[in-house]
Amino acid sequence: MGDLDLSGAFSGITTDALLEALFLVVLASILIMLVQNLLPRLAHTLGGKPRLYLLASVPLLRLVVIVVTIILVVPVLVEPSFENMVAIFGALGLALGFAFKDYANSLIAGIVTLYEMPYRPGDWIEVNGQYGEVKSIGTRSAEIVTPDDDVVIIPHSTLWTALIANANDGTDNLMCVTEFHVEPHHDVSAVLSLLRDMAYTSPLVKTWQPVLVTVRNTPYGMQYKVKAYPLAPREQFRFITDLTARGAEALATQGVRMVSVPVAVV
Amino acid sequence: MANVAEKETINPELPGGLIPLESWRLPETSVHRSIKGALRNTWIQVRAGFSPDDEAFESLDDLPVLSRGQIERFAPDPDYGRIARLLLQSVVESPVNNPVSFLVAPPFSGVRKALTVLADEDSGHSRHLIMPPDNLLMSDSDAREWWDACDFSTPWVIPELASFWLRHRSGLALVRELLRRVAAGEAGEGLIGCSSWCWQFWSYYLPDARFQPLTPAPMDAGKLGLWLGGLGVPSSDSGVVARMADTGLWVLPSDPDVLGEGQKTANFLRDLAALSRGIPGIALGIWQKALRARPEEEQLEPLEKGDHQSVRAQCWVAPLNKLSLPVVPSAAGRGLAFILHALLLHDGLGGDRLELVTGMKGHEAALALNRLLRADLVEYHESDGVWRVTPLGYPAIRRQLQSDGFPVDAF
Repeated sequence: MGDLDLSGAFSGITTDALLEALFLVVLASILIMLVQNLLPRLAHTLGGKPRLYLLASVPLLRLVVIVVTIILVVPVLVEPSFENMVAIFGALGLALGFAFKDYANSLIAGIVTLYEMPYRPGDWIEVNGQYGEVKSIGTRSAEIVTPDDDVVIIPHSTLWTALIANANDGTDNLMCVTEFHVEPHHDVSAVLSLLRDMAYTSPLVKTWQPVLVTVRNTPYGMQYKVKAYPLAPREQFRFITDLTARGAEALATQGVRMVSVPVAVV
Repeated sequence: MANVAEKETINPELPGGLIPLESWRLPETSVHRSIKGALRNTWIQVRAGFSPDDEAFESLDDLPVLSRGQIERFAPDPDYGRIARLLLQSVVESPVNNPVSFLVAPPFSGVRKALTVLADEDSGHSRHLIMPPDNLLMSDSDAREWWDACDFSTPWVIPELASFWLRHRSGLALVRELLRRVAAGEAGEGLIGCSSWCWQFWSYYLPDARFQPLTPAPMDAGKLGLWLGGLGVPSSDSGVVARMADTGLWVLPSDPDVLGEGQKTANFLRDLAALSRGIPGIALGIWQKALRARPEEEQLEPLEKGDHQSVRAQCWVAPLNKLSLPVVPSAAGRGLAFILHALLLHDGLGGDRLELVTGMKGHEAALALNRLLRADLVEYHESDGVWRVTPLGYPAIRRQLQSDGFPVDAF
């Protein structure tokens, strides 16, 4: 095996080769930009599963473009011999190991993200107390938008340590839980069936998914939980609002009063 | 021989008869047509997001459409009295031997109209009609009282179960109580028609309700050819004859045995069956829009019976890709979809009930209805004062609701 000569590996780079490589990189950047801008816009004009599939394809397409670009650019700049490759990747490894450790960590986690898919664009996730919809998955980080329209950047390296809760996990099924706290001493069976009817008759409910109503005693009264699925994950807040309003009205007509915690306790 | 025997037993007015719900299959079309249709629908959906003005039905060819008189001659509405008799006969002959039978069918199948005729005294049938009360919001005890007051001692018919409920927490009691009585065998002998959308809701709401419903067989190309061919002219005649306006290929008669040597059939009926999802009312609506006349034939006198050559010359069919069917306009909110879904669930609703079911305010519902009306997706029926979706708009509506994640029927 000969000496690993890094400067020798790049000695053959000419201006033409540099320009060609630059052209490929610019072309790849434009392609990535188009993919990242056009596909999400197109996805928003569609609904249901096509929207989710299209959003999920964005990071994958970007990875494909990057890999293809590297495959095309490297032979343009250096002769792809064994010695040259070892020299380049050795130098790259050193640079990543010392200077860009955290960045490389996120990059690798980003690739793992595409493979394991703990979250995809369109998923509703909670990481370190931040809940929101994954809008995009970049090379180093993912962007989520919270219900209050804040953009939160989550480095992919968080994947190694944090607990990630995914509410819909790549599907368009996201369970919503609506709670009602009411005074005891009422007909529990009647309220259970009333709340079930109330949920089934919401125009936002997915009727083919189960609608469950549970009840339990608490020190301050009885707690009912209505568990149901909205038509689309992004309807979850509207759905909970709708169920809360309908449920409150239905309980009032039955003479079942809500309870609230005194302000002093809060 | 089997084919000959089958042809002899097929009734043109109810081809395929009644089948179990589980046996229903969507008519197939070619892969080419499926891909083309999917791409076209996606393009329409995307384009609707950018140019919302293009909303109503239009014909894209320049051949003159048929006059009203010609449509009534070539493609009139079916004889619902005859269909009613055939439905009743099929129910009686069905191996499902329940005192109360359910006929579940997608919208525009004609079951509601046919079952209404069953109760018509002039038609000679002996089933009395059970009509819904004016107020559908009632408690369980009120519902029990209402059904107690109904006469179940003689055979009865409910043309459309969807008229007996509202998607509201207080609007479920009547159907719930009726289904309980049917399950318990306390409802006498009856026949219940039910829209497939309504049935789907109640199947999810009461998953243990299994009543072995029957449904008219889907209209595939063969059945459609038989049915459309028999609609337009008296049974003694040879049937409607129609050819493609662009290629001259034969559409009707659809049976290759009837055609002469060298006369090739078009794929129109197969594509029509798939586009209309095998639903006769929708197929008929599109068929009426697709029929064309030549300019010189507009002036001809009504045909004399038996004048086959003149009939052949009159009827031309525009290709399906020359018909621009209504599309669902794009909207930022869910209002349009809520209204369309509610109309299908209840097989039509009045304005007040629409607000109650969708939870929309009066002005929101009115604005949405107006937009849907302009897009030829809904129409107001003066006879019973309700809004209903249009047959031509139904395929696009169902596709859009499914794409938006709404629960849709199984047809």
